[in-house]
Amino acid sequence: MEFLSQTYVALRGPTGAPQTALDTISRLSDRLSPSTLLADRRASVLSLKGLARDHKRDVGERAIPGLLEVLQNDAELDADIGKAVLDTLNHLCDTEEGSTEVKELGFKHTDRVLADEKATHKLFALLAADQTFYTRFGALQFLSTLLRNRRQIVQSYFLTAVAGPAGIIAVLEDRREIIRNEAITMLQSLISQSPEIQKVLTFEGAFERLFNIITTEGGIDGGIVVQDALLCVDGLLRFNASNQSYFRETPMAVVLLSLLQFPPNLPTHEPAPQQFALQFWDTQKGQNAGLVIGIIGMLVATKGANSGDLSPFTRCLLEMALASNAPSTLKTQSLRLLPINQSLPLSDILVTTYIPVPETNGEEWDRLEPTTALDALVELILNGEYSGLHSTRRDKEALELRATAAGVFESFVGQNDIRLLILQAMIPSEDGSAPPPVTPLLQFLATPPTSPLNPASVVSTQLAAILFAHLLRNSFRAKTLARSIKPPGAGFDAGQGSFFVPADGQAPAPPQPSEDEDDSPQTLIQLLNEHLSLALLSRSHASSSDREAREWDRLVTAYLTLLSQWLWEDSKAVREFLDAGGLGILVEPVNQTSESDVLVPGLCALLLGICYEFNREPGEVTRATIHPILNRLGIDALMGRITRLREDERLKAVSPESTVLPYPTSPHSQPGLKPETTGEAEVWFDWPFVDFLKSNYYTIQRGIRADPNSLSSSAGQTPETEILVASLKEMMRNQSQEIESLQSKLKTVLTEKEQERKALEVQISQLTSDIQAANEKRQDVEKEQEDLLVLLDELSSKRRRDKDRLREAGLEVSEDEGDEDEGEDE
Amino acid sequence: MAGISWHYVLKFIITGDAAVGKSSLLVRLTDQRFLANPDPTLGVEFGSKLITIPEENKIVKLQCWDTAGTESFRSITRSYYRGAAGCLLVYDVTNRTTFESCRTWLADVREHADPHLTCILVGNKVDLCASEDGDAPRRREVPAEEGERFAQEEGLLFVEASAKSGENVQEAFERAARDILAKIQQGVFGDDRSPGVKTSRPTNNNLTLDQAGSNGRCCT
Ligand SMILES: Nc1nc2c(ncn2[C@@H]2O[C@H](COP(=O)(O)OP(=O)(O)OP(=O)(O)O)[C@@H](O)[C@H]2O)c(=O)[nH]1
Ligand SMILES: [Mg+2]
Repeated sequence: MEFLSQTYVALRGPTGAPQTALDTISRLSDRLSPSTLLADRRASVLSLKGLARDHKRDVGERAIPGLLEVLQNDAELDADIGKAVLDTLNHLCDTEEGSTEVKELGFKHTDRVLADEKATHKLFALLAADQTFYTRFGALQFLSTLLRNRRQIVQSYFLTAVAGPAGIIAVLEDRREIIRNEAITMLQSLISQSPEIQKVLTFEGAFERLFNIITTEGGIDGGIVVQDALLCVDGLLRFNASNQSYFRETPMAVVLLSLLQFPPNLPTHEPAPQQFALQFWDTQKGQNAGLVIGIIGMLVATKGANSGDLSPFTRCLLEMALASNAPSTLKTQSLRLLPINQSLPLSDILVTTYIPVPETNGEEWDRLEPTTALDALVELILNGEYSGLHSTRRDKEALELRATAAGVFESFVGQNDIRLLILQAMIPSEDGSAPPPVTPLLQFLATPPTSPLNPASVVSTQLAAILFAHLLRNSFRAKTLARSIKPPGAGFDAGQGSFFVPADGQAPAPPQPSEDEDDSPQTLIQLLNEHLSLALLSRSHASSSDREAREWDRLVTAYLTLLSQWLWEDSKAVREFLDAGGLGILVEPVNQTSESDVLVPGLCALLLGICYEFNREPGEVTRATIHPILNRLGIDALMGRITRLREDERLKAVSPESTVLPYPTSPHSQPGLKPETTGEAEVWFDWPFVDFLKSNYYTIQRGIRADPNSLSSSAGQTPETEILVASLKEMMRNQSQEIESLQSKLKTVLTEKEQERKALEVQISQLTSDIQAANEKRQDVEKEQEDLLVLLDELSSKRRRDKDRLREAGLEVSEDEGDEDEGEDE
Repeated sequence: MAGISWHYVLKFIITGDAAVGKSSLLVRLTDQRFLANPDPTLGVEFGSKLITIPEENKIVKLQCWDTAGTESFRSITRSYYRGAAGCLLVYDVTNRTTFESCRTWLADVREHADPHLTCILVGNKVDLCASEDGDAPRRREVPAEEGERFAQEEGLLFVEASAKSGENVQEAFERAARDILAKIQQGVFGDDRSPGVKTSRPTNNNLTLDQAGSNGRCCT
């Protein structure tokens, strides 16, 4: 009880007189020094903890050095003092609660704690060494606070902390859920934007620990912990190539697929299993899955040019987007992450899609026949999810999904000749035997609009126009092919329910597509022409509601944008359009003046300009015919229309990333309009059209000013040269593609050659050394021979001497031939 | 994905002075390439390679952390020592200073790493001493015998190699890996006693996650 009385003395002061809080705090702070008893220090910390609530400034000012000392010396030894000191420091550094002033104090205190690395190092050491619940918990919370306030400083201290990585791993392995969860929260900010820390923790096995947590928590069915753990995984990988190459080769990469129930070894020809395609989804699971998909997308994107087989990751994204019951946002995300390149066999791979059985609340599903991924993609774009079951959805998510899918379609058909193949399939065969099947894409363009408008088919037609423009844009060959498309029996087997029925008797006369004098089916341009005319008329009569008028406007926009992109640089198409009466259709809306109405007149003026500029084929309506009409409309007025079009919010709001706009965009134009459902959205233009307009409007405006006899302003071309130029342009495009591919081939050949050369060099040096060895050997042999000769010489002189001696001894000796030279050798 | 089959994962670190060719050795191992102008390593880079040890009939996955030689990264790179099973200590045979630094590097490794860590001393850039090579032959400043002697004194493996020609590069890693496998067999690294060694068993656990995942719903 000694300490109690001492603390009491500290609180009351030695004289027993009441003292100010500041005095008390000073006294308590003094008692934190190591020279006092542990129990005394503990009591002081507890008191300071209480006082810190109301006297944050004073406690901070007086007590922080002492508290840090206690943290250093006592926290590990005494759990109570550990908890108390961590809580107190955490409170002093907190910047989340209280007035701005109090928050400022938090930063100030944080800076004092972080004045050197000691406190931070101690905190990590506590994580590594101390199992006590409150110590770990307190240390984690305090670290989180410090990281929130001064992340980079804490991060730099972490990198020098001997126990740093081990501490993190220890808390990630803690069996106590609260500790683990707190650790994951702290980890998120610790690794943020620090590749070094990300790598160190990877080395220490952080991925393995995180995946352990994720799987034991139930995978994506788990709760917020799983979400946080996945955020950590994402954080360790994103922008960190080194960690990605580590991760990619671990079994955990495959676990990502398993988390989504996608079998990693699924053969390409086998359908994805039902347990992947059909799952129960809730918000949390959607969020978890979104993170998994994000990580998969990252692995797929950085995989590099490792093309060839369809990787299971890409396949998973594809199946998720086209053939699953995942929430629309996940499908959109999957589509955005899908790498569009040569190795993505959209038109080869089959997917099995499902539609919900009505009235079963998503619990029963019908399996549909497998279709190619490309067909499923187009179906998704044109009809929305689940084979049109959701085609009336106008919410942002649903439209976003369809617009994103249209973007995938654009990138896909942008490669090589795929677009030509698709168009070719829409054309009747040469012998006219079998009419080509009416593709859904064609059907939506060929079907005349119905009145009253079916809202679902407006969106479908808009998207069909967008897709068709993707097929044609910038390709003379594609446009030429498209001109010979004649949708058979268009409009009469379209299966879109009601045909055009006058809304109230006073509607314009409907066109009679099939009762043409000649029986031959109409071309697509003729059909579009008629639909446009019909839609413009209906629009002017759609007095019923602003909403209805806006629907008509969107439809008109769809036709006009498609025609503008088609007729651009295609004088044959212009001819066809004019011959079908296009001029009359366009003039009327341009001439209308209405403050609220900017889009349709602007687009009509634009198309009119294109018709004038590219009207270079002989025919009834010539440039000379159009010119006076332009003058009557007023050249400046036309310019103004086009300029105002460019300034419309609905166009300006479109970017490569966003096509879907909130309903109604530029609301001031029609103040009465309100969204009918929450989150209602709308589509007007896609980015490629906006881009087309921005790049070409100047040419069009200049063209409008030009004299009818002037040559094309693009470069004074006759129709023939124009076509020639267009086809040359295309040829150049193809050739430059070819050059590129040849260059890359050349490169590979060169590297091969280089390798060969190296191999040869090695061989040469080998041979050189062989030769050298051979030479040496030969020299050896020569030397040996020389020695032998010398020896022989010696022998023969010896023999001579012997003979001489024999002769001297009077014995008979045979004569040697060389005897004459004898004397010289001696 | 069926390709993930290995018996052991071994964590390696590669240390030594700046510009001795640590990254080049790793790139040679993993990509069979040589870069004439690699960037100096900042911090640490990862690379990996599957190798087979035929005598043991074992497939080993080498996870290599290539560290920066520059002094300023010391504190960061040190964090990697503790968890490694193997270490390539690299010097440049044409630069005596880098050899002399090895003593310091080794002390550092010894201080922080697992005591059972296998270390191989690698004298790199021997291609420069091959005198026949016409382009500016550089003087060898560290005789092979000297490297050998130092390695023996310190209980290190030793090899001379060239990241440029590829000579002895894979061998260096293989010799170290063999040595570690031998240690495993002697029970020095009991089951996962070292953070630098992982046997294939835990991976199998990982793979069963598949099933755990698919059954997940009925279990919850
Ligand atoms: N001739 C020759 N040059 C080499 C060899 N290995 C590396 N080099 C060159 O030496 C220089 C440094 O190589 P790096 O691999 O970046 O050296 P490092 O040890 O990773 O350097 P830090 O990352 O800064 O520590 C580069 O110019 C390499 O091309 C070799 O075996 N022979
Ligand atoms: Mg390097």
